[in-house]
Formats: sequence, C-alpha cells, structure tokens
Amino acid sequence: MAAGIAVAGIVGLGLLAIPAGAGAAPQLPPVSAEDLVSSVLAAHPGPLNGTVELDNNLGLPALPGIPQAADGTSTARIWTDGTSKARAQVPSGTGERTLVADGTTFWSWNSADKSVTKAPEGNRPATTPEKAATDPAAAATEAIAKLRATSVVSVDGTAEVAGRPAYALVLTPAPTERTLLREVRVAVDSETRMPLQLAVLANGSSDPALQVGFSDITFGPQDASLFTFTPPPGSTVTTPDQTAKPAKPEGPPAGATKPTVVGDGWDTVLVASMPRQDAGAAPRRGSFDLSSLGTPVSGTWGSGRLITTAVAAAIITDDGRIAIGAVPEQVLTAALAK
Amino acid sequence: MTTATATAAPLGRLLGAELRWVLRRPRTLVMLGVFALVPVLISIGVAVAGSRPGAGLIGQIGGNGLVLPIAAITLSLTLLLPLAVAMAAADAIAGETASGTLRGLLIAPVGRLRLVVMKAFGVLVVAALATLVIAVVGVVAGLVVVGGADGQLVTLSGTSVGLGGALGRVALVVVWAVVQLAAVGAIALAISAFTEHPLVVLASVLGGLIVFGVLGAIPSLNWLQPYLLTSGWGAGADALRDPLPLGGLLESTWRALCYLAVGAGLTTYRMLRRDA
Repeated sequence: MAAGIAVAGIVGLGLLAIPAGAGAAPQLPPVSAEDLVSSVLAAHPGPLNGTVELDNNLGLPALPGIPQAADGTSTARIWTDGTSKARAQVPSGTGERTLVADGTTFWSWNSADKSVTKAPEGNRPATTPEKAATDPAAAATEAIAKLRATSVVSVDGTAEVAGRPAYALVLTPAPTERTLLREVRVAVDSETRMPLQLAVLANGSSDPALQVGFSDITFGPQDASLFTFTPPPGSTVTTPDQTAKPAKPEGPPAGATKPTVVGDGWDTVLVASMPRQDAGAAPRRGSFDLSSLGTPVSGTWGSGRLITTAVAAAIITDDGRIAIGAVPEQVLTAALAK
Repeated sequence: MTTATATAAPLGRLLGAELRWVLRRPRTLVMLGVFALVPVLISIGVAVAGSRPGAGLIGQIGGNGLVLPIAAITLSLTLLLPLAVAMAAADAIAGETASGTLRGLLIAPVGRLRLVVMKAFGVLVVAALATLVIAVVGVVAGLVVVGGADGQLVTLSGTSVGLGGALGRVALVVVWAVVQLAAVGAIALAISAFTEHPLVVLASVLGGLIVFGVLGAIPSLNWLQPYLLTSGWGAGADALRDPLPLGGLLESTWRALCYLAVGAGLTTYRMLRRDA
C-alpha cells in the first residue's frame, strides 16, 4: 500500500514529462490545397487569446536586446479583439514586456526599467521581433501569400495543434527555385481556417529551423480592459519624437538606403547598404562588430564576409553592402553583381 | 507486521503534543526569527539603495513594496526554506532515533501510521509557519519601509492591482510555496526514517537541491527538467504577472504532489516495517 503510493508518485512524474498534443491525428473531411489556401487568405478569426511559442534553431548569435533571435524557446501571451486592438505580453525569467495597441495609441512597457513608451498608432514600428514572435497567424498568412506562386502546395494530412484539429498545409519550393529551405509547413485550424503554427524546415534536417505557433488558443470575446494601458505609478513615460524614426536597435539605422529586392519567391535576395560609421565614433549602443563573424569571400562583385545559418545566408561586403536571403552563396553573389 | 489496532490516544491530542514538542524547541523559534529578518533586511537594502531599477525580482521592489513578500519567499525557497524543513524532518525521526526517544514512541500504543501522520504534521507546521512569517513580515516591511506604489502592486506586466488583490496573490504564493516545501519535507522524512543520523538528512536534502540546480542548468540535460522538483520554482514570480498565468504554478504543484507521494509512501513503508 505504502510502496504503491511511492510508485504512483514516480508514475505521476513520468506522466508530467509527456509532452501535450502527442495524440492521434484527428479525422477531418478532405480539402484541396487550393481551397485551403484561399480560405486561409480570407479567414477572419475574430477576437481570441492564446499563448504563442517560438522555437528557434536558426543558429544566430545572441543579439543585444532581442533575446528571441538566439536559439531557444520563448513564449508570449496575446489577446486581440479581431480588429486593431491587441495586447502582447512577452515574459522573461523575472520580467515582462507588454505591448498594447488600444486603437489610437501604441504602448510599450518594459518591467526591467519600469519604462513606458507611448507612440501614436501610425508611427508604430512596422516589424519588431516581438511582433513576428507574437503573431504566428499573420506571419503564416504572409508566407503563404508570398510563396504560393513559386511553390508546390499540398495538404499533408491532419494534426492537433493547440488542442484544435488542423490541416497540415505544406509549401515546397518549385524545382526552379534555388533555396536552402526544404519546405514551409503551416497548420491551419479546420474550423476558423486560421494558421495556428508555422514551421520552416531547411535541407538536411528533420527538425524545424524555426517554429512559431500557438500552444493554446481560445476564440471568443475578450475583456475590453485588456486593450487599454494606464502607466502604473512609479513608471517613466517617454514619447518618441514624432519626426525622428523610432530609435529601436532592430529598426533600420538612419542613413541606410531602402533595400532593393532581387528575385522573387523562395530565392528572394535583399540587397541593402549599411550606414558608413564615422571612423572615430564609438559603436552605436545595441550594435555589435559584424566583422568578427563569418568567413571571408571575394569575387567579381568585390569582397566581403559570408555568414551562413541553417536557413539563410548573408554577405556583408567591405564597401558596406549587405545581401541576405534563404539562398545558397552563388545566388547572393549573383544578386550583388547586378 | 504491526497493525494500527491499539489507538488509545486521539489523533488531535497526538498532533497537539507534536506541535508543542516542535514549537518549544529553541532552534525552531530562532529559525522563525531569522526568517522574519529576511524581508526586513531586503527592505532596508532596497530603501538604502533608492528606487533605482535593478535586475531580477529584487530590482522590482523599489517603490513597489508589495513585491517584497513574493520576492522574499521566492528567494528563500531556493535554499533557506528547504533547510528549515529538512531540519524539522531530521529532528522528527532520525533525531529521535539518535537520542533514543523514538523507541518509546514505537512501543507506545500508537499506530505506526498515526506516528507518521503526527511527524509529517510537525514538519508541515514548520514549513507553513516559516513561509507565513516571511509573508506577513514582508507585507508589513514592504508597506512601511519601502512604501507601496500608492498602496497598489505594480505587476511585471505593467498593470496595477489593489491592496486586496495583492494580498490574494501573496496568499497564493504562500500556499504554492508550502506545497513545494511539503514535497521537500516528505522526501526529507523518508531519508529521516532510513537513517539514525540527523546530519545525513540535512546533507542529502541540501546536496540534492544543489545537484538538481546544477542538472537544471545544463542545456543538454533539458529532457530532465520535468522530473526535477526545483525546475518549477521560478513560477512564484508568475504571481506578479497580470492576467495571472496559472500554468506554471499548477504544473510545479503537480510535480510537488508527485514528490510528496513518493516521500510519504517511502516514509510509511519504512516506519510500518521498522523494529522498535
């Protein structure tokens, strides 16, 4: 009897270690890939809340200020009313960042220094890592819209994601595409047709290089008070200068020209020029020395350093240009030579 | 096998006797006094340092006194509170074996199961009292020495919670911490039942916690995390988030209950079969 209780405790510990969602694939009516894609692009899931998990195996170095960029798992809790109001909370061990869009103002709270940044809705930074990490549905929809023309789209059975039955939509690059990626898998909720999970798989690896998706999700009306933010007592509120660009380390540095896009679909290459730093000036806070990374390469386009990860490659030339894409080195050098 | 047939003394009287026995020990009282000092010292440190924001939970206390009880419990849970529980558990069985007084209890007309319940109750009372002392002194010191943010708790998420809600969150952390400590206490009691040296209990519990901490910090041993009692101990800080995420607290509570079952099962198994 007493020994049985001890054994039950050990069994309980084993049960706790079993990951959730390891059940059988749900039975769903078959759907054609074309229908599924068009229903995803037309989906309006409405108000919802959930927990988003980002699993990053890109092999990037830890960037200052963006812990999500380094390898590892990070989570965020999100709420949206289905229109323009949204709230995202990105917890860390003993802190939290809260982002609230209340329809007119964009609030950003950082518990580490108890600071609040307040910006009008139109001035909000378009793509922050937090935003990409907290909105897998938008990221997946965008990926489908951009890649469907150059992809073989298929439905690869069903799976259970975030406790909901979902179709597995697979985008494989067309044979003419020159890319490091093997496929992009999107789990589409069978009922609302909202993407629940996006996984990027690279050649030569069975584990996703990047996976972002809901670990739990609830559809339904949300408490309106979640979409308001009142700076708490003891916090410092800053309003960034309206004319200046938001001084975010991840934003494009002032002076950089608009990047040019070479190619389309899977082998898109972005070519941009980096701002020339004054020789004597101290490095900008949040930036780090890129010349310590990668291997030196040279060609008719000039010389520079090649940085490769599982899913992408980048060349930073000595004359301050940068070419980046999910492509092999040859495609990058061809884009630089143009 | 000895069966619990002769039960002359009612359970209430047994528990009362154990309670007096535990609380009259000078070391228990000194220990509770030391626990009262933990939040006081933190509050003085924070008050002297000013309300400059700093790293970790301690950095959140400045100008936000109601964080203090939760931060103090979370900090003490890593080593100090388990030490107190392990000490109580070491005294409960191994200590009495060493001083020869357990023999009297084993041959007394008290069921062995009742004896285990009585000893476990004593350990649980120490765990609950130690946590409560930190919480109560923490709330008072937080409000008096540090000063609350307009009598409110500013959560890590940037929202404000009123005094009632803040006290509710402190109570939640106290209950959660006592369950975690009960798990430590159950394992400590099991060790205590198998040895006659109280020091062995202390050394194995503290050594085990340190080993768990090291194992939890090794990235390649990530798969081990769900089995380690200590891996959920950061969840106490979740009480400072808004809306309250219960996932981490619930998961670590389930894990603690599993450890509790293992410890209680082994303790009972050993005590039922033990010679006087």
